[in-house]
Amino acid sequence: MIKQDIIICRCEEITLIEIIQAIKEGAKDINGVKRRTRAGMGLCQGRTCEKLIRQILQKELKKFPEDIKIGTDRPPIKPVTFGELGGKDH
Amino acid sequence: MTYFDAVVIGGGVNGTAVAYYLSKKGIKVALVEKNDIASGTSGRCDGNVLIADKQRGFDTKMTYTSQLLLKELTEKIDYDFEYYQKGSIFVIESEEELTVAQELVQDQIEDGYPMRMMDKKEIHDEIPLLADDIIGGIEIACDSSLNPMKLSFGFALEAQKNGCMVFPYTEVKNIKCNNLGKIEALITDQQTLFTNIVVNCAGVWAPQIGKMLGVDIPIKPRQGQLLVAEKTFSPYWRKIQEFGYVTAKSQNGNYKRNIRPELEKLGIAFVFEPTLSNNFLIGSSRAFVGFDTDVSIEVIQGLAERATRFFPVMKDIHVIRAYAGLRPYVEDHIPIISKVDEVPGFYIAAGHEGDGIGLSPLTGKLISQMITGEETILPIDTLSINRFKELNKKR
Repeated sequence: MIKQDIIICRCEEITLIEIIQAIKEGAKDINGVKRRTRAGMGLCQGRTCEKLIRQILQKELKKFPEDIKIGTDRPPIKPVTFGELGGKDH
Repeated sequence: MTYFDAVVIGGGVNGTAVAYYLSKKGIKVALVEKNDIASGTSGRCDGNVLIADKQRGFDTKMTYTSQLLLKELTEKIDYDFEYYQKGSIFVIESEEELTVAQELVQDQIEDGYPMRMMDKKEIHDEIPLLADDIIGGIEIACDSSLNPMKLSFGFALEAQKNGCMVFPYTEVKNIKCNNLGKIEALITDQQTLFTNIVVNCAGVWAPQIGKMLGVDIPIKPRQGQLLVAEKTFSPYWRKIQEFGYVTAKSQNGNYKRNIRPELEKLGIAFVFEPTLSNNFLIGSSRAFVGFDTDVSIEVIQGLAERATRFFPVMKDIHVIRAYAGLRPYVEDHIPIISKVDEVPGFYIAAGHEGDGIGLSPLTGKLISQMITGEETILPIDTLSINRFKELNKKR
């Protein structure tokens, strides 16, 4: 399998080669990759791909896992409808 | 020893724009950013370039000029920043709003801007999913949207092609002047960069840079929160805002929107922005909470409540994320794009509040023209930091 074909972020369909390109363009952490590629911006908010991207960053930048800054956790923990969130009965 | 003709502080959309326009003129420029490009305000905002909510006159002209520059940039920047010019819509809730809207539209048409009123039938034909009780709208044909992070990356990459050196993850520690008070060098946590010109594009952090040179920059962080919706069908294809918020602002408190006081207190105003990725963003809020970028449950509930008021259909659409950013607020809502008389070689391009993305091309262009001593495309007197001295004198 060639790098172009390996999808790392399933929600946004971002491939390994795109992530490596983002790192070449200066991304040094999860947010840097995200802002350049959209990896982690989808429905699951990086739950699946963040660990993989961390490994790729670590390998490309030759760093230890703990040196790679993780993404920013934001609510909601799981998708919630506008109706549930904005309903006046809570 | 590394010498640069100019050093730009701040890798947000305005800093990268300034670096781009300076480097295009063959100026040897460096860009210093304490984190990554677009990691501050430009990575936590929306991507609107609107004349819709601008004051008549210079305020509108600034954004309109910037819109024209942006269109040019799509040809010049070899990086897709998802620019599109589809226009924007204001939705109108009440007769009072309608009166204010008609006046505004008449004025702007007189000044040559592409705005027009839409009556009740027209707005509902145009936006079938809009709440039934909306009585009219305004269409602003020239308004546009873009991806702010990508525009920042685009500016930075093009600047680099022109020879600009970019120093990310580099924090400015001090700025050194010679005994005549002229800037000599920029000292960072990584190295010393020798230069006689420093442009402060640090946004909400601009005052901290100003302090290094004894310059008081009256910018305060003003927090805004946004919701991101899942990828789904889009309730509408153009940007929409509620006109009530503009009416309330323009009537100096004499007009009250039909909204819960709690939401009014949180500064909530409905803004809808479809993105090219088929998500949409919902704003907006405003609050002075220092440098806090956490979202709060009251605000995101309020945003969702206000959104479903205008689009009942959203009740069943999912919110996948909420985020907060800091707008660089200036009291008179006009950015500071200015040289500093007291410190030769020191320039400021900050304080754009919610208009930084849209005004970034204009900001870059103006600063580059000021530095090279060319005639500026717009008069710059109103943008000068000196206006605050006069304000302070009057107090």
